[in-house]
Amino acid sequence: MLDVNKGGTEPVVRLLNVTKRIGRRTIIDNLTFDVPPGEVFGFLGPNGSGKTTTIRMMVGLMRMTSGEILIRGKSIRTDFEAAVRQVGAIVENPELYRYLTGYQNLVHYARMIPGISKQRIDEVIELVGLTGRIHDKVKTYSLGMRQRLGVAQAILHRPALLILDEPTNGLDPAGIRELRDYLRHLAKNEGTTVFVSSHLLAEMELMCDRFAIIQNGKLVDVRPLNGREGGGEKAEILFEVDRPEAAASALGGAILRKESGGIVVGAGREEVADINARLVAAGVRVYGIRAVTKSLEDQFLEVTGGARGV
Amino acid sequence: MFEFLKLVQNENMKIYRRVRTWVMFAIMLAIPLAMSVIGLLYGEDPDMWAYARSEALAVLTLMSIFAVVIAADSVAGEFSSGTIKLLLIRPWSRSKILLSKYLALALFMLLSMALLFVFTLLLNLALFGSGGDYTFPNQGSMSHFAYLAAFYGLSLIEMVVTVTMAFMISTVFRSGSLAIGLSIFVLLGGQIIASLLEWLDKPWVDYILFLHFGLQRHLAGYPMIADRTLGFSLGVLSGYYVIFMALSWYVFNRRDVAA
Repeated sequence: MLDVNKGGTEPVVRLLNVTKRIGRRTIIDNLTFDVPPGEVFGFLGPNGSGKTTTIRMMVGLMRMTSGEILIRGKSIRTDFEAAVRQVGAIVENPELYRYLTGYQNLVHYARMIPGISKQRIDEVIELVGLTGRIHDKVKTYSLGMRQRLGVAQAILHRPALLILDEPTNGLDPAGIRELRDYLRHLAKNEGTTVFVSSHLLAEMELMCDRFAIIQNGKLVDVRPLNGREGGGEKAEILFEVDRPEAAASALGGAILRKESGGIVVGAGREEVADINARLVAAGVRVYGIRAVTKSLEDQFLEVTGGARGV
Repeated sequence: MFEFLKLVQNENMKIYRRVRTWVMFAIMLAIPLAMSVIGLLYGEDPDMWAYARSEALAVLTLMSIFAVVIAADSVAGEFSSGTIKLLLIRPWSRSKILLSKYLALALFMLLSMALLFVFTLLLNLALFGSGGDYTFPNQGSMSHFAYLAAFYGLSLIEMVVTVTMAFMISTVFRSGSLAIGLSIFVLLGGQIIASLLEWLDKPWVDYILFLHFGLQRHLAGYPMIADRTLGFSLGVLSGYYVIFMALSWYVFNRRDVAA
């Protein structure tokens, strides 16, 4: 099998001082970070920040000027075949052979990696929900179907690492949701590490466990998405109530701030229930309770200093 | 080895699963069929070997153009459709992927030639019988079959050089139309330039690619450059061939696949 030893805590991808210069321009500047296994890892940056270039170097489509990229310990530069065997990818749009059928496309890629059975091809077709149309020519497919066929070719060989470059480009909301659910499924149930680039922050927020931000080819930050890690901590909770003043006094003033139509308190899971009971007992009407997490957009703007073009 | 043949199989699929390839084959066979039928209806004492030769003359250039079209598309087409990205991220070196493309192309040329050869021989044998007394120019003691086979062989060499040039342009410039345009120019316009250059009395003229096309003339006994032998022409052509191949592989291996 190809998917030996997906577990462990060794990073699936390591970028070490990766630099790309074209002429005098430095496109990627000394990029270093690790992608831990089994996570959906977001790669964020404004348009033109070097996301696609980095991905192209990770799959060997472009050369690095200096530095090293290791995929499960294998260098993409010096040990390309062993390194890339662990990778499935869609780089930008899923461009497949339009004059071939979906099935012929999959057979084409299956032939390039030993050990992919006919059953595996059928299994993948089933998984991406293309069974009914797989023997039609790709030129008759909608963009969403091509995206699904793209995912199918990328996971045929059960890669340890799935790389997707702007996967939601051109997809409708249903397609985006489907893809998102699917990626989370792969990470959770098959232990696949998913590396996904995007400039759509709201999308990434729903998809990723951790994200790296680059700007002008430089790494700005790598951090876990708020709310996914450290679940025991107190969170900011907004209580929507009819009388914020009365609510504040019912809690003895132990609140973070008042907002129009509600109060914000710092509370853990159990405390939320208690506070709610106290508010109700004090005759305050509670319309809604929700966590006020800092959105990825806030975090993004925070670390990029409000860079435009996102 | 077996695994590598699957790459060639993939490239074959990309050639033969397209309608245009079958249109090409249909045209390649329709032309000799039409010529022979016209010969049968209006010809005076038609001979199978004479018809097989003129049909080969008529179709071989067209066949080169078809092979050039496929060569031009082979690499440049993958770039323009973007499929090159998904092709190159498989556990195969770029050299082997390019080689699989080249081999599929070579197979296409061999197949087209074999098809034309067998088809015209059988067709004309069926229509005109084998009893004619036609002899090929400069045939000497060669058999008809050997002469025609040699004719095809020399044509194949030329076709391989032209198609390799198209393949090189397709790989280096990633432009199918440039590859097709330049190759057709070499095939057709080259002869005109050659006849002009012939008058120049400079030593480098002998090494110009165009001047060595028309190898079949050696068979018929009137080479393009009067005092140059077939061996010399083959030497020059193989020199160009090596350069085309080396350039293709060098550039394809080093190229950054962007946008």
